[in-house]
Amino acid sequence: MVEVAEDAAETRGPAAEPTPDHPVRPDDGTGGSDRGRSGRDEGSSRSFAEEAIGHLDTLYRGALRLTRDPAQAEDLVQDTYLRALRYQNSYQAGTNMKAWLFAIMRNLFWDRFRGGRPEDVSLDGDGEVSLYDTLRDQTAMPEAEVLDRIATDEVVRAVERLPELHREVVLLVDVEGFSYKDAAEVLGVPIGTVMSRLHRARRQLQKALYEYARESGIVHADRDR
Amino acid sequence: MNCQDCLERLDRYVDRELTDAEIEEVKRHLVDCPPCEDHFRLQVHLKRLVKVCCDQGGAPAHLRAKLRQILF
Ligand SMILES: [Zn+2]
Repeated sequence: MVEVAEDAAETRGPAAEPTPDHPVRPDDGTGGSDRGRSGRDEGSSRSFAEEAIGHLDTLYRGALRLTRDPAQAEDLVQDTYLRALRYQNSYQAGTNMKAWLFAIMRNLFWDRFRGGRPEDVSLDGDGEVSLYDTLRDQTAMPEAEVLDRIATDEVVRAVERLPELHREVVLLVDVEGFSYKDAAEVLGVPIGTVMSRLHRARRQLQKALYEYARESGIVHADRDR
Repeated sequence: MNCQDCLERLDRYVDRELTDAEIEEVKRHLVDCPPCEDHFRLQVHLKRLVKVCCDQGGAPAHLRAKLRQILF
Protein backbone atom coordinates (compact mmCIF):
# COMPACT_ATOMS: atom_id res chain seq x y z
CA MET A 1 0.00 0.00 0.00
CA VAL A 2 1.26 3.49 -0.76
CA GLU A 3 2.42 5.90 1.91
CA VAL A 4 0.39 5.25 4.99
CA ALA A 5 1.86 8.27 6.68
CA GLU A 6 0.72 10.72 4.04
CA ASP A 7 -1.13 13.09 6.32
CA ALA A 8 1.39 13.03 9.13
CA ALA A 9 3.95 14.72 6.92
CA GLU A 10 1.54 17.53 6.33
CA THR A 11 0.33 18.54 9.75
CA ARG A 12 -0.70 22.04 8.89
CA GLY A 13 -1.89 21.30 5.40
CA PRO A 14 -2.29 24.25 3.10
CA ALA A 15 -0.04 27.05 4.24
CA ALA A 16 -1.56 30.44 4.85
CA GLU A 17 1.63 32.19 3.81
CA PRO A 18 2.38 32.52 0.15
CA THR A 19 5.24 30.30 -0.90
CA PRO A 20 7.32 31.47 -3.84
CA ASP A 21 7.67 28.03 -5.34
CA HIS A 22 3.99 27.30 -5.38
CA PRO A 23 2.92 27.73 -8.96
CA VAL A 24 -0.70 28.59 -8.38
CA ARG A 25 -0.52 30.47 -5.11
CA PRO A 26 -1.19 34.21 -5.23
CA ASP A 27 1.87 36.40 -5.25
CA ASP A 28 2.60 38.24 -2.02
CA GLY A 29 3.78 41.32 -3.86
CA THR A 30 7.38 41.00 -2.74
CA GLY A 31 8.79 39.90 -6.01
CA GLY A 32 8.77 36.76 -8.08
CA SER A 33 6.67 37.58 -11.05
CA ASP A 34 7.87 40.67 -12.82
CA ARG A 35 5.48 40.34 -15.68
CA GLY A 36 2.94 43.09 -16.05
CA ARG A 37 3.45 44.33 -12.54
CA SER A 38 2.90 48.03 -13.10
CA GLY A 39 2.11 48.09 -16.75
CA ARG A 40 -1.21 46.23 -16.66
CA ASP A 41 -3.64 48.34 -18.61
CA GLU A 42 -7.37 48.57 -18.22
CA GLY A 43 -7.92 46.17 -21.09
CA SER A 44 -5.97 43.31 -19.57
CA SER A 45 -7.57 43.99 -16.21
CA ARG A 46 -10.93 43.72 -17.84
CA SER A 47 -10.10 40.53 -19.63
CA PHE A 48 -8.81 39.11 -16.34
CA ALA A 49 -12.15 39.95 -14.74
CA GLU A 50 -14.07 38.46 -17.67
CA GLU A 51 -12.14 35.24 -17.50
CA ALA A 52 -12.40 35.05 -13.73
CA ILE A 53 -16.15 35.55 -13.63
CA GLY A 54 -16.49 32.82 -16.24
CA HIS A 55 -15.56 30.36 -13.47
CA LEU A 56 -18.17 31.66 -11.04
CA ASP A 57 -20.67 28.81 -11.30
CA THR A 58 -18.10 26.09 -10.91
CA LEU A 59 -16.41 27.90 -8.01
CA TYR A 60 -19.74 28.38 -6.29
CA ARG A 61 -20.61 24.71 -6.64
CA GLY A 62 -17.23 23.81 -5.22
CA ALA A 63 -17.71 26.26 -2.35
CA LEU A 64 -21.11 24.78 -1.63
CA ARG A 65 -19.66 21.26 -1.45
CA LEU A 66 -16.85 22.47 0.81
CA THR A 67 -18.89 24.57 3.22
CA ARG A 68 -22.21 22.71 2.84
CA ASP A 69 -23.92 26.02 3.48
CA PRO A 70 -25.18 28.51 0.85
CA ALA A 71 -24.42 31.63 2.92
CA GLN A 72 -20.90 30.46 3.71
CA ALA A 73 -20.40 29.41 0.12
CA GLU A 74 -21.29 32.95 -1.01
CA ASP A 75 -18.87 34.46 1.48
CA LEU A 76 -16.14 32.10 0.43
CA VAL A 77 -16.64 32.81 -3.27
CA GLN A 78 -16.76 36.55 -2.73
CA ASP A 79 -13.57 36.47 -0.67
CA THR A 80 -11.95 34.31 -3.33
CA TYR A 81 -12.68 36.91 -6.00
CA LEU A 82 -11.51 39.75 -3.79
CA ARG A 83 -8.22 37.99 -3.22
CA ALA A 84 -7.91 37.05 -6.87
CA LEU A 85 -8.42 40.69 -7.82
CA ARG A 86 -5.82 41.84 -5.33
CA TYR A 87 -3.27 39.34 -6.60
CA GLN A 88 -4.20 39.40 -10.25
CA ASN A 89 -0.68 40.44 -11.21
CA SER A 90 0.60 37.09 -9.99
CA TYR A 91 -1.70 35.27 -12.38
CA GLN A 92 0.07 34.55 -15.64
CA ALA A 93 -2.26 34.92 -18.58
CA GLY A 94 -2.72 31.72 -20.50
CA THR A 95 -2.15 29.42 -17.52
CA ASN A 96 -4.87 27.49 -15.75
CA MET A 97 -7.05 30.15 -14.17
CA LYS A 98 -9.57 27.67 -12.84
CA ALA A 99 -6.79 25.90 -10.92
CA TRP A 100 -5.47 29.24 -9.70
CA LEU A 101 -8.89 30.29 -8.42
CA PHE A 102 -9.52 26.91 -6.80
CA ALA A 103 -6.16 27.14 -5.03
CA ILE A 104 -7.10 30.55 -3.63
CA MET A 105 -10.51 29.28 -2.60
CA ARG A 106 -9.41 26.13 -0.84
CA ASN A 107 -6.65 27.99 1.01
CA LEU A 108 -9.20 30.55 2.16
CA PHE A 109 -11.53 27.76 3.14
CA TRP A 110 -8.94 26.14 5.37
CA ASP A 111 -7.71 29.44 6.80
CA ARG A 112 -11.02 31.09 7.43
CA PHE A 113 -13.50 28.35 7.97
CA ARG A 114 -11.27 25.69 9.44
CA GLY A 115 -8.64 27.67 11.30
CA GLY A 116 -5.94 26.45 8.94
CA ARG A 117 -5.97 22.93 10.30
CA PRO A 118 -7.15 20.05 8.18
CA GLU A 119 -9.33 17.70 10.15
CA ASP A 120 -7.93 14.35 11.09
CA VAL A 121 -8.58 11.73 8.52
CA SER A 122 -8.58 8.11 9.48
CA LEU A 123 -5.55 6.47 7.95
CA ASP A 124 -6.59 2.89 8.38
CA GLY A 125 -8.95 1.09 6.12
CA ASP A 126 -11.70 0.73 8.71
CA GLY A 127 -15.15 1.23 7.35
CA GLU A 128 -14.04 1.14 3.78
CA VAL A 129 -16.06 -1.44 1.97
CA SER A 130 -16.06 -2.05 -1.71
CA LEU A 131 -19.50 -1.65 -3.17
CA TYR A 132 -18.50 -4.17 -5.75
CA ASP A 133 -17.59 -6.87 -3.25
CA THR A 134 -20.66 -6.25 -1.16
CA LEU A 135 -23.10 -6.29 -4.00
CA ARG A 136 -21.49 -9.34 -5.45
CA ASP A 137 -22.31 -11.18 -2.25
CA GLN A 138 -25.75 -9.85 -1.68
CA THR A 139 -27.62 -9.07 -4.82
CA ALA A 140 -28.07 -10.22 -8.34
CA MET A 141 -28.60 -6.68 -9.60
CA PRO A 142 -25.80 -5.29 -11.74
CA GLU A 143 -23.78 -2.76 -9.78
CA ALA A 144 -24.20 -0.02 -12.34
CA GLU A 145 -27.95 -0.41 -12.20
CA VAL A 146 -27.88 0.00 -8.43
CA LEU A 147 -26.00 3.26 -8.85
CA ASP A 148 -28.52 4.48 -11.40
CA ARG A 149 -31.33 4.12 -8.89
CA ILE A 150 -29.65 6.38 -6.37
CA ALA A 151 -31.02 9.92 -6.36
CA THR A 152 -28.83 12.86 -7.27
CA ASP A 153 -29.32 14.43 -3.85
CA GLU A 154 -28.09 11.29 -2.18
CA VAL A 155 -24.90 11.25 -4.23
CA VAL A 156 -24.25 14.90 -3.36
CA ARG A 157 -24.89 14.12 0.29
CA ALA A 158 -22.43 11.23 0.19
CA VAL A 159 -19.77 13.52 -1.30
CA GLU A 160 -20.48 16.20 1.30
CA ARG A 161 -20.08 13.68 4.10
CA LEU A 162 -16.58 12.74 3.04
CA PRO A 163 -13.83 14.07 5.31
CA GLU A 164 -12.77 17.44 3.91
CA LEU A 165 -9.32 16.29 2.80
CA HIS A 166 -10.93 13.51 0.80
CA ARG A 167 -13.83 15.62 -0.40
CA GLU A 168 -11.64 18.29 -1.99
CA VAL A 169 -9.74 15.70 -4.02
CA VAL A 170 -12.97 14.23 -5.36
CA LEU A 171 -14.17 17.73 -6.24
CA LEU A 172 -10.98 18.56 -8.11
CA VAL A 173 -10.46 15.27 -9.95
CA ASP A 174 -13.93 13.82 -10.45
CA VAL A 175 -16.10 16.92 -10.63
CA GLU A 176 -13.70 19.48 -12.13
CA GLY A 177 -11.67 17.03 -14.17
CA PHE A 178 -8.26 18.20 -12.94
CA SER A 179 -5.26 16.01 -13.69
CA TYR A 180 -3.50 14.53 -10.64
CA LYS A 181 -0.71 17.03 -11.28
CA ASP A 182 -3.00 20.06 -11.31
CA ALA A 183 -4.89 18.78 -8.27
CA ALA A 184 -1.58 18.27 -6.45
CA GLU A 185 -0.61 21.87 -7.21
CA VAL A 186 -3.94 23.25 -6.04
CA LEU A 187 -3.68 21.27 -2.81
CA GLY A 188 0.04 21.76 -2.31
CA VAL A 189 0.67 18.02 -1.80
CA PRO A 190 2.57 15.34 -3.75
CA ILE A 191 0.76 13.45 -6.51
CA GLY A 192 0.99 10.25 -4.45
CA THR A 193 -1.08 11.94 -1.74
CA VAL A 194 -3.70 12.93 -4.29
CA MET A 195 -3.87 9.32 -5.42
CA SER A 196 -4.17 7.75 -1.98
CA ARG A 197 -6.78 10.26 -0.84
CA LEU A 198 -8.75 9.78 -4.01
CA HIS A 199 -8.67 6.02 -3.62
CA ARG A 200 -9.89 6.20 -0.03
CA ALA A 201 -12.54 8.74 -0.93
CA ARG A 202 -13.94 6.46 -3.61
CA ARG A 203 -14.08 3.50 -1.27
CA GLN A 204 -15.92 5.67 1.25
CA LEU A 205 -18.36 6.84 -1.41
CA GLN A 206 -19.04 3.28 -2.46
CA LYS A 207 -19.73 2.34 1.11
CA ALA A 208 -22.03 5.30 1.72
CA LEU A 209 -24.00 4.69 -1.45
CA TYR A 210 -24.28 1.00 -0.76
CA GLU A 211 -25.63 1.70 2.71
CA TYR A 212 -28.13 4.11 1.24
CA ALA A 213 -29.16 1.57 -1.37
CA ARG A 214 -29.74 -0.99 1.33
CA GLU A 215 -31.61 1.34 3.67
CA SER A 216 -33.87 2.56 0.91
CA GLY A 217 -34.63 -0.95 -0.32
CA ILE A 218 -32.83 -0.66 -3.65
CA VAL A 219 -30.85 -3.72 -2.70
CA HIS A 220 -31.79 -6.28 -0.10
CA ALA A 221 -29.17 -7.67 2.16
CA ASP A 222 -30.68 -11.10 2.40
CA ARG A 223 -28.09 -13.64 3.31
CA ASP A 224 -29.88 -16.72 2.07
CA ARG A 225 -29.94 -16.01 -1.60
CA MET B 1 -0.45 -8.51 -15.37
CA ASN B 2 -2.35 -10.17 -12.54
CA CYS B 3 -5.56 -8.97 -10.90
CA GLN B 4 -3.80 -7.15 -8.08
CA ASP B 5 -1.63 -5.21 -10.54
CA CYS B 6 -4.73 -4.38 -12.51
CA LEU B 7 -6.78 -3.20 -9.54
CA GLU B 8 -3.89 -1.08 -8.29
CA ARG B 9 -3.89 0.73 -11.63
CA LEU B 10 -7.63 1.07 -11.95
CA ASP B 11 -7.90 4.56 -10.43
CA ARG B 12 -5.23 5.87 -12.76
CA TYR B 13 -6.75 4.01 -15.69
CA VAL B 14 -10.17 5.53 -15.05
CA ASP B 15 -8.61 8.97 -14.55
CA ARG B 16 -6.50 8.69 -17.74
CA GLU B 17 -3.27 9.04 -15.81
CA LEU B 18 -1.43 6.00 -17.22
CA THR B 19 1.06 5.93 -20.06
CA ASP B 20 -0.01 4.45 -23.37
CA ALA B 21 1.94 1.28 -22.66
CA GLU B 22 0.31 0.87 -19.25
CA ILE B 23 -3.12 1.50 -20.74
CA GLU B 24 -2.57 -1.33 -23.22
CA GLU B 25 -1.55 -3.69 -20.42
CA VAL B 26 -4.64 -2.91 -18.37
CA LYS B 27 -6.87 -3.21 -21.42
CA ARG B 28 -5.42 -6.60 -22.22
CA HIS B 29 -6.10 -7.81 -18.70
CA LEU B 30 -9.65 -6.45 -18.65
CA VAL B 31 -10.55 -8.31 -21.83
CA ASP B 32 -9.61 -11.60 -20.21
CA CYS B 33 -10.85 -10.95 -16.70
CA PRO B 34 -14.57 -10.35 -16.14
CA PRO B 35 -14.23 -9.60 -12.38
CA CYS B 36 -11.70 -6.80 -13.03
CA GLU B 37 -13.82 -5.61 -15.93
CA ASP B 38 -16.77 -5.33 -13.52
CA HIS B 39 -14.64 -3.33 -11.10
CA PHE B 40 -13.66 -1.05 -13.92
CA ARG B 41 -17.25 -0.48 -15.04
CA LEU B 42 -18.37 0.30 -11.53
CA GLN B 43 -15.56 2.81 -11.03
CA VAL B 44 -16.26 4.58 -14.29
CA HIS B 45 -19.92 4.69 -13.46
CA LEU B 46 -19.31 6.07 -9.98
CA LYS B 47 -16.98 8.75 -11.30
CA ARG B 48 -19.51 9.85 -13.88
CA LEU B 49 -22.30 9.81 -11.33
CA VAL B 50 -20.36 12.03 -8.94
CA LYS B 51 -19.57 14.44 -11.76
CA VAL B 52 -23.14 14.69 -13.01
CA CYS B 53 -24.70 15.01 -9.56
CA CYS B 54 -22.25 17.58 -8.20
CA ASP B 55 -22.22 19.67 -11.35
CA GLN B 56 -25.75 20.97 -11.09
CA GLY B 57 -26.91 24.46 -10.18
CA GLY B 58 -24.99 27.70 -10.37
CA ALA B 59 -24.21 30.81 -8.39
CA PRO B 60 -27.19 32.90 -7.25
CA ALA B 61 -27.93 35.93 -9.42
CA HIS B 62 -27.36 38.43 -6.60
CA LEU B 63 -23.88 37.02 -6.00
CA ARG B 64 -23.03 37.35 -9.67
CA ALA B 65 -24.28 40.94 -9.69
CA LYS B 66 -22.27 41.80 -6.59
CA LEU B 67 -19.12 40.27 -8.04
CA ARG B 68 -19.56 42.11 -11.32
CA GLN B 69 -19.63 45.35 -9.35
CA ILE B 70 -16.47 44.36 -7.54
CA LEU B 71 -14.61 43.14 -10.61
CA PHE B 72 -15.57 45.68 -13.26
ZN1 LIG C 1 -8.30 -9.50 -13.04
